[in-house]
Amino acid sequence: MTAIETSGLTKTYGELTAVDGLDLTIEEGEVFGFLGPNGAGKSTTINMLLDFTRPTAGSASVLGYDAQTEADEISPRVGVLPEGFDIYPRLSGRRHLEFAIQTKDADDDPDRLLERVGLSTEDAGRPAGDYSKGMRQRLATGMALVGSPDLLIMDEPSSGLDPHGIREMQELVRTEAERGTTVFFSSHILEHVEAVCDRVGVLNEGELVAVDSIEGLRESIGGGATMELTLSASATGYREVATGIAGITEVAVSGRTLECTVTDPAAKASVVTALDDAGARIEDMRIEDVSLETLFTALTNGEADATPERQTSGVAVESGVAE
Amino acid sequence: MSGHVATVARKEFEDAGRSKLLWGLIGLLVGLVVVGYVAIWYTADDVNAAEVLNFVATPLQVILPIAALIAGYMAVVGERRSGSIKLLLGLPPNRTDVVFGKLLGRIAVVTAAVVLACLVSLVLGAVLFGSVPLVDWLGFAALSVLFGAAFAGLAVGTSASVSTRGKSMAIVVGTYMILIALWELLTAGPYYLVYGEGPPVEAETWYLLVEQFNPIFAYTNTVSNVVEGSVFPFQFQYGLQSFEAYGMTPAERYPGDAPFYLQDWFGVVVLLCWMAAPVAIGYYRFRKADL
Repeated sequence: MTAIETSGLTKTYGELTAVDGLDLTIEEGEVFGFLGPNGAGKSTTINMLLDFTRPTAGSASVLGYDAQTEADEISPRVGVLPEGFDIYPRLSGRRHLEFAIQTKDADDDPDRLLERVGLSTEDAGRPAGDYSKGMRQRLATGMALVGSPDLLIMDEPSSGLDPHGIREMQELVRTEAERGTTVFFSSHILEHVEAVCDRVGVLNEGELVAVDSIEGLRESIGGGATMELTLSASATGYREVATGIAGITEVAVSGRTLECTVTDPAAKASVVTALDDAGARIEDMRIEDVSLETLFTALTNGEADATPERQTSGVAVESGVAE
Repeated sequence: MSGHVATVARKEFEDAGRSKLLWGLIGLLVGLVVVGYVAIWYTADDVNAAEVLNFVATPLQVILPIAALIAGYMAVVGERRSGSIKLLLGLPPNRTDVVFGKLLGRIAVVTAAVVLACLVSLVLGAVLFGSVPLVDWLGFAALSVLFGAAFAGLAVGTSASVSTRGKSMAIVVGTYMILIALWELLTAGPYYLVYGEGPPVEAETWYLLVEQFNPIFAYTNTVSNVVEGSVFPFQFQYGLQSFEAYGMTPAERYPGDAPFYLQDWFGVVVLLCWMAAPVAIGYYRFRKADL
């Protein structure tokens, strides 16, 4: 069954088209990242899935139910972290969770939820009006997790969170995905998405410009990575070793440095092993991915910030670990 | 309705119950009742608790509408502006649950205020005047709750039908001003223009009907029937009517047997209309709104 399906979904405000004929299918169990610059129509789309906003044309279904006519069937089965939400300032964090548990007719333990989203028992006793932006985000995330939903819809879940909080959020998304939950979340920051998503959709000016896996997107714009290896002695003799590996298309040598252009991600490890076998001592290594920022810029007609981003990491190369 | 009205209402009641402003108004109401009772006990001889009960209607008449309007004018629109409505509607409650849950929650707040003021009057009546007029008291309390509920309905309905706080406040304050300060100008004024004279005691039937559609008159007319003595509406008076007419109910002014819509009990219908009509409009508009 499909978790989310939209067909020709359109929303216009007067002259302005916020979402333009969106066709999107998200399968059950998938973690789907919904990308786009601010104002691309991501929130409008999510608001239409949740029946906060009514489409001008087209239709949307969530978990097999029509988003407009059968909204009452949808809300008990999904967890929602909306964008631009607020808490009830006079009620405690715990009361918020209890309210969510009551409405979902669930038997969750509020303390367990608090722990999962990183709020302390003392925090939970205070009025939520005293909370910081990040704490409010955590509280709302806790409310979204109530009743073990089949589908999590999160609009900019990382907003207001510090790097540590963002990592926790990604961890949480992974845990939910392992449990079999479908996760649909939006972001305007690529790194937040690439770390956890199976597929991404890129929205620009209300239109879907790409839907693919991160790897697929990279390939589609012919992107590879550059690998820079610093050896303990002159690198000249090792050039042949590197060139001989499949997936390495080009090798440049300067002093103790080898610069390889990599088209197959697996080739990175092979280079390291081959050089090691050949007796070279690798002192340092840098990998520069074709950053998603570049990719994003290419897809959205250069409207995003065009500065390419450097991603560096240690010898244990895993380009997907985002901060 | 998906059965979450009660859950939403309980949350609303709890949330409003933490408002200091609301508690301030309720405190003021109770304080005025206490002061009034003590003053009457101190100055008047030979009165019983039943004769003093109508005094409570004066502070209630003024403070209850204000408390209900304050408690309600932001009910829905406030959540739309802050965004907490997204948190609420992201959960199983739907828009119907939200509007009616909020209405019930705010009515519960108003009821709490009335019950508190009435309990104080009951206790003071027993202590200072030595009697407990239970039947009068129950009728009075019930009508006062209905009076408060009418304004809660007006406020919650308004808050559901507009998209900004400013509009909600303007409508609520404007309506209250009309009811308390401009009613006579708006009813007796046209009468004067049509007939060349202000409404006499035995005024035209349409005028009597229109005049009692003011919830404040509806309240005082009905309450005067359940307590000893009569309760006067707290109103700006412009002297457009004959002086005699001010203290009379439409049924008393009507020559002969008044039709049902001019009977004093019809005030209950008027109050129910003031509660239901704004909620119906607000509900209709809120259901269609893009949040």
